[in-house]
Parts: sequence; structure tokens; C-alpha cells
Amino acid sequence: MRFRDAAHYVRDDPDRGVFRVHRDLFSDEALFELELQHIFEGGWVYVCAEFQVARPNDFYCTKVGRRSVIVSRDEGGKLHCFYNTCRHRGATICHVERGNKKYHVCDYHGWTYDSSGRNFDIKDRKEGAYPDSFDDCDHDLIPVAKFEGYAGLLFVSLKADVASLEDYLGDARTFIDLAMKQGPDGMEFVPGRTNYTFNGNWKLQIDNGMDAYHLTSTHRSFVNTINRREAGQSSNQQANSQNIPSRFALESGMFNFENGHAVIWSDQPDLEKLPLFGAIDEVRARVGKIRAKWMLRGCNLTIFPNLQIADSTSLILRTILPLAVDRTEMTMYSMAPVGEALELRTRRIRQHEDFFNITGMATPDDTVIYEDCQNGLSVGADDWLQCFERGMTALKPGADAHARELGLSPVASMSGRYAVQNEVCYHSAYREWVRRLSGIAA
Amino acid sequence: MTLLAAASDLLAREGLYLDERRWDDWLALYCEDCTFWAPSWLDEEVQSNDPERQISLFYFSSRAGLEDRVWRIRSGQAPSLVPIPRTTHLIANPVLDDCATGDAMVVRSAWTCHIYTLRNRTQHVFFGRYEHHLVRLGGDWRIQHKKITLMNDFVPAMLDVFCV
Repeated sequence: MRFRDAAHYVRDDPDRGVFRVHRDLFSDEALFELELQHIFEGGWVYVCAEFQVARPNDFYCTKVGRRSVIVSRDEGGKLHCFYNTCRHRGATICHVERGNKKYHVCDYHGWTYDSSGRNFDIKDRKEGAYPDSFDDCDHDLIPVAKFEGYAGLLFVSLKADVASLEDYLGDARTFIDLAMKQGPDGMEFVPGRTNYTFNGNWKLQIDNGMDAYHLTSTHRSFVNTINRREAGQSSNQQANSQNIPSRFALESGMFNFENGHAVIWSDQPDLEKLPLFGAIDEVRARVGKIRAKWMLRGCNLTIFPNLQIADSTSLILRTILPLAVDRTEMTMYSMAPVGEALELRTRRIRQHEDFFNITGMATPDDTVIYEDCQNGLSVGADDWLQCFERGMTALKPGADAHARELGLSPVASMSGRYAVQNEVCYHSAYREWVRRLSGIAA
Repeated sequence: MTLLAAASDLLAREGLYLDERRWDDWLALYCEDCTFWAPSWLDEEVQSNDPERQISLFYFSSRAGLEDRVWRIRSGQAPSLVPIPRTTHLIANPVLDDCATGDAMVVRSAWTCHIYTLRNRTQHVFFGRYEHHLVRLGGDWRIQHKKITLMNDFVPAMLDVFCV
């Protein structure tokens, strides 16, 4: 490590209008190890949505940092989360992403656990000449330290000594609500998630997921594809996606929340293109005019450290899993109201495929750029990145009128025309990074 | 030419046109009202089967969708496509469905696509199966429907229409 303490890697001086992050944050392996221990394996991390384990005995298998875990709904409907490892010799007991099983049987010696994680059978136990001390052991699957949900999203902390999930999420909960309450009967993932990797640091995704500034350069080909469609030069009308530059004159802003969370928002130019607009009367009647207006806005939300919900060219939920300092795995879902009209659903799907899919016309340009960034950041220069100051003079501590409209108390607010394309929305994540890692000896 | 030979010839030409970036020749293999579909995997064993209700890796309900992608490739405006990765398609084991006639046939085949990404000097192989629905229009065979099964759908950074 270049500096003794993680706090020295971020220069955060709002009075002087300075916010700088050292390049090593993206390339230092010792820092990455600290991130795994103290961020991904030392605090709240999103694992899955409750609707992915809706029925008794449904399970979902995923990773929290490096640790494989199983989320399982027992026969009585209660949710559990335990480590994916047999108590006998430690083999993983689950090898698929999801499914429905009353019993999980270890392939090695056949130890069996029920869907609540309770040990149901130790093969040939009677003949095993086990001592009393063995019988005194707990043979159940090992539960994670903390497991809580908010608005249908489930989170785990592998460390017990953390704030409640609600306190951790804070006011960012309002933006989770704006995504998770769009449907009168709840939300669901459209079947068919995509799963991809990039050879870059996980924080490149954290930032880019809220980056309005890159759209007209990185995604120029997407912007111009939409322009061609609108000019009649392309007859492909199946997606009817939003025109991005049309946002530039519209109102936009961002909120920095406590604990690393942040959101950027903007008005949308063509409301009638939004799948949700087709059901807006029901939405207004249910959530009120103000929340309905916010549900039609473009909102890109980061819940630190591994969840992003973006509502722009359709609504997505994506997860970020760090594999190495320079390698990250992503899972991307299209999210939609349960019971959505087929015509709206199909348009939503085509918009998702148009933009967000790893096979689409936007995401591959992001991932390839992350790899460019990683290559550049790995040159080892003792230097500070200059990507945190756009929007600084429009930044206001606390709530602005937009925050007050939603009853929010953010750390800071910024609003103005979309053309600002602010980069101050990244401050929260790096402040949280410092809070979690400072004072820890490497 | 037998039907199987005609089908094999078309499959080989499609791979050739993609690898040689003869995009207009590639598009000309498709009917205007074609469908081009790469289902996603819903779990370890089941693929999506309804593009209206499920996410696909690719779903274009006409050639215009492919034309958008070709425009993007040629535009030089997409970082993931500049420089454009080099590809080699190997297409093998064509089998005709029993219902093949002189006007329409379904041919199933196996494929691999080797991709060399010049931007970071990495290489990757995607592989899977094709199902081509071919029709004879004015003496030439054209693709009415193409279904691409991608076996290894854990994607390193990018995957475009010419990588499958």
C-alpha cells in the first residue's frame, strides 16, 4: 500500500471544492483484500429478491464476497440464509443457481439438510460408533450472521455487529420503493437474466451506473441509432427506446445519502415510450401524483456496495460481484410489474435488449471501457482522478426542494439541467469506502 | 445440388461473410421479414422459448434489427467494436428436418466462433447450435428464421451479432 491508512486515498474537502480519489483504489491488491474483508464480507450486501424464492422450498444460490451462500424458503414459508457448505467435510451442497428442494443432500457422504438448513440425516449414523461429543454438536447448515429484507429485496451481512438494514439503507429506501412499488401486485424479474464479466475493478461499475456524462461519447452509437430510427433512416421500431440527448434541456439532479448510497434522476423526454406510462392511471391512484411523477423519472440508484437499480431505457436490477482487483462479475435482470399488459411487457423486453443486455448496443461499450480504465489505472502513476468535481458548484448540503418533495434528508443534493451531467454523485461511495477501511492496518 | 448441399453452402457462406465483414452480403442472406433469435438460458437446462415474455440474448423481428447492428458496427462509434474483433466461424454437422422440400427446409447445425479481441489481446470461443429455417425466393435460398443456441452464456465483456 502506498499510504498507511485507507483514509489517505481520498481527499474530501467540500469547503475548498476538492474531491479526489487516488488511482491505487482501483489497482492495489492489498486494498482489494481489505475491501473483501470489510466491505463485502463485513457489512450489508444484497443477495436476491424475495420473489426469486417465492414458494416453499425455493432456493437461490449466490456469493457474498468470496463466500457461497444459499437463500432458502422453508416449508412453513420462512426465509433462511446459510453458507453453502456441508458440516461434514465442507463440500458445497448446492451447484445450481436456483431451484426447489425440500432436502439438500451433500454429494460426498450423503448428509441431508432440510430447506430450513436443519440437519435431517447423517447417513448410517446408528452404525457409526459416534461419541457423545459428536451428538452434542450442532449439525445444521451454518446461518449467516444477519439476514434481513426491505421492500422485497434481501440482504446479508456476514458480520453481526452492523446497523439494522433499514438504518443502513436510510433514505435510499425511498428510491427502492419507487422501483419496487411500480406494480399493484408487486414486481418480478422478466425470465432470462444475463451474466457477464469484465477485467476491471468493481468500483468502475459503481460509478458508471450513475454516470450521465459518458452517454454521448461511450454510447454515441446507441444515441445515433435512436436518431436514425427517429429520422426514419432505420425501420427498426420494435424497441422504441428513449432519445438520450433530448434529456439535456430537462430537469435532473442527484442525492448523496449516508452509507455509500446515491441516486441520479432526470425527467424523461418521451413519457409515452416508457412501459410504465401505459399503466400510469393505476399507479397515480395507488401511490399519489408525486410518487408517480418520480416513477416516470429516470433514476439510477446505487445501494453500496453491490446493487444498482436503473430506471431509464426500461427498469433493471444488477448485482456487482468482485472476483479480483481487476475482475468483476455482473448479473443483470429486467424488472417489471407483475401482471403487466403483454404489449407493454414486450416493449420493455425489447428496450432492455436494445440497451442493457450484454448483447445490446450499450453495455458492451461500458464493459470494454472499464477494461480500458483498468489498463490505464494499472500504470501505477501516483496520481489522483479528476472525475468527482462536475456539478460541484451546484451541490448543496442537505435537502433541496426535490428532496423535500419526497421527505428525504440526503447528505447533499444537486439539481439543474441534465446537461450538467454531474459527477458529484460518486462522493457517497468513496466516503463510505473510507469509513469502512480507515484505521484498519493492512 | 441436393437440399443438404444447398443448406450447407448457405451456412458456410454466412460464416464466411461474417468473418470477412461482408455485411451487405450477410444481410442479403436474410428475408426482410426474418426473425433472428438467440434465446437466453432460464436455468442450467432450460432455454427461454417466448421472446414476447422473456429476455433473449438477441431478438429481431425483422431484418431492420440486423441492419441497425450493421450500421453500428460500421459507424466506428462503438468502443467495443473499434478495432473490430477478428472472428472465425466453424459450422458443421448439418442435418435437415424430414419436412424439407424444394421451397422450404429447416437445417440444424453446430457452430463455434473464435474471437480475437485486439483491444486487449484476449481470445475466446463461443459455441452452440444453429437452427436455420430457409425458404427459396427467386431461385435463391434465404434465411427466414435463425435460432442460435449459445451454450456458454457467461460472457466476457462483449458479445455482438457476429460473435455467434
